[in-house]
Amino acid sequence: MEINASLLINQMLFGLALGAVYILMACGLTIIFGLLDIVNFAHGTFYMLGAFAAFVTVSLFGNFWIGLASAIILVGLIGWVTETFLIKPLYGKDPLYPLMLTFGFSLAVTDLMRGIFGTVGRIVPLPQFFIGSIVWEGVFIPKFRVFIIFLTLGVLIFLWYFFKKTNLGMIIRAATRDSLMVRTLGIDVPRIWTFGFALGVGLAGLAGAVNSTIQSALPDMGVEITVECFVVVVIGGLGSLGGAILGGLIIGQVISFVSLFASDWSNVAIFITMLLILLVRTRGLFGEAGRL
Amino acid sequence: MKKVSLIVASVFLVTLLFSGVASAKPIAALLFPLSGPFSAMGTDMRKGSELALEEINAKGGVLGQKAEVIMGDDEFQAAIAIRKYKEMVDGQGIKAIGGTLSGGISVAVNEWACKNKVLYMSFCHTSIPLGKEQCGYGFVSGMIPYQTGVATAKYAFQNLGKSWMIVTQDYRFGHDELSAWLTVSEKMGGKFLGNIYSPLGQVDYSAHIPKIVATNPEILVINVYGQSMDAIIKQLGEAGLTNKKMKFVIPKSHLFTIKASGAFYTENFYGGHTFYWTLQDKFPKAKKFVEDYMKKHGAPPSQDSDGGYVGTRALLEAMNVAKTTTDVDKLIKTLKGFKMDYNKGPEEFRACDHIRTTSVVIVRGIGAKASGMNYGEVVAEIPWQETLESCENNKNDVPYGKVKLPGK
Repeated sequence: MEINASLLINQMLFGLALGAVYILMACGLTIIFGLLDIVNFAHGTFYMLGAFAAFVTVSLFGNFWIGLASAIILVGLIGWVTETFLIKPLYGKDPLYPLMLTFGFSLAVTDLMRGIFGTVGRIVPLPQFFIGSIVWEGVFIPKFRVFIIFLTLGVLIFLWYFFKKTNLGMIIRAATRDSLMVRTLGIDVPRIWTFGFALGVGLAGLAGAVNSTIQSALPDMGVEITVECFVVVVIGGLGSLGGAILGGLIIGQVISFVSLFASDWSNVAIFITMLLILLVRTRGLFGEAGRL
Repeated sequence: MKKVSLIVASVFLVTLLFSGVASAKPIAALLFPLSGPFSAMGTDMRKGSELALEEINAKGGVLGQKAEVIMGDDEFQAAIAIRKYKEMVDGQGIKAIGGTLSGGISVAVNEWACKNKVLYMSFCHTSIPLGKEQCGYGFVSGMIPYQTGVATAKYAFQNLGKSWMIVTQDYRFGHDELSAWLTVSEKMGGKFLGNIYSPLGQVDYSAHIPKIVATNPEILVINVYGQSMDAIIKQLGEAGLTNKKMKFVIPKSHLFTIKASGAFYTENFYGGHTFYWTLQDKFPKAKKFVEDYMKKHGAPPSQDSDGGYVGTRALLEAMNVAKTTTDVDKLIKTLKGFKMDYNKGPEEFRACDHIRTTSVVIVRGIGAKASGMNYGEVVAEIPWQETLESCENNKNDVPYGKVKLPGK
């Protein structure tokens, strides 16, 4: 096989699409950590729930777009309920409690889903117009991967606008810096936390719905991506949205290019990358510089 | 007061009744990966074992008693499997264990069984009849991984093309299949274009697609299993590659994979199976197996169902023949050369290396035409004589064990 410019560009584009999913996931995790100071071990579980939400709604309505929208909404609602009834009572207690709770939640929900849907992968069919690749001068990329890249871009623009230009977004940003002050101003901060958690897991749900079409919806599907997502967030710096984006891009490219030259190292490579970055910047690339 | 007494007495009686059942001494312990990346296949394997147990009990059980067999989850981890087997062997006095669905795990369990002088019936593709792994306590109701590699490679080089590339899951099973393909390729004039190692559990193969397209082989061998197999097929389909010229050969495919891949599992896909449900048209006893399985579980049996069924049934029948459930030496003696006519015509556990003498079925996809139970068509059945090495070769783990794998 000849290593030429087309191949390298292909590899870069596939890496970008890979990174886009990590960005969706990592942004959600970052919002939750930045706002609530909670390390959400159940993030992969919400990703899995998004995949099944897409499966169920696409099966019922036969529409891919309804599947995507329902993944964010349904998973966001589940997140809302989870935060209100399970996580909220633990605020102010040892940080280990919510960590253990989300870990236990992920085990319980995964088992529950296994009981309901079994262990055989559920298909979320890809719409016909997404099947196939765009080819130009030896460079190609599957149409659906292009969609993933633009979808993530759209989500990032929305998040930027939301956090920078809307009142609610600015309140959330303020709450991440000094929740006591925001509370003093008469704002219902616990409600803001609930919203932030729902938004964060909703993004994970969206990522799950996207990936359910190119993998399969499976109860165990959230396990591996949770670890990878933590790597992305740690590389970028805990609590930093910009860091989550950069971390996702880096990890996408690392996996893509290591797969080309030394495929059996692709899994290990992301951890080596994390190690190298942490050796240089112990708080990650954008850690501490700016939360949300 | 009378009512209360009646309720208390009823509860007591029911408890007594069920405690009687529960205290029946288990005679075998079977573990399957009911969670983890191979859980769908593990569940199928368990279903096969359940059917075999039910049939044996319907015919009078083992040594005149209802057979009690413990079934559980090994969580797809060798350490957990061994811990659970040990608990059951030490705690319940069980001398026969079975199950597992991974070449690596079954090798570890086999080693433990040998050290502890326990009979082990592996239900999966495993190398325990080879070389130093061959310790005398292990039997296999699946097959040796190289067999599906040899069968699919022979079929591919005869019918599909010569140039090939392979994606290999980076563990024992994948390595065995790869070495089989490399060996057959050399013998049959195949042109090897490259290998991509894939970590166990990988579900996104998109980063490998540019390399595959740039290499442009006639045959792409998908040497991965479980969720990874479903994922790579979907991603090749997503990129629009599954309905072009390239042929795809899966040494060990699965009914669930064909189903989960949907229309992407086109006529360009050829998969090796140790059992496919349409074999019922060829073997009358397979028809009964398929019908009974479907009646009990509502879906056709897969090769893992067959592995679980054959392994469990043979183990329990051997106990009846040997007239013991705990004398390991007698059980091994009985199982050596044990003749069976279950699902695929006359077969046996070869006396020298304890491997089931069974064929490989090549199933071709039918793409969008798939409906109901109809997922593919059997295009060939490669007899065991064409895939299984001699006793001497297996004992010395040649030729496949001596192949230098790329990058290793």
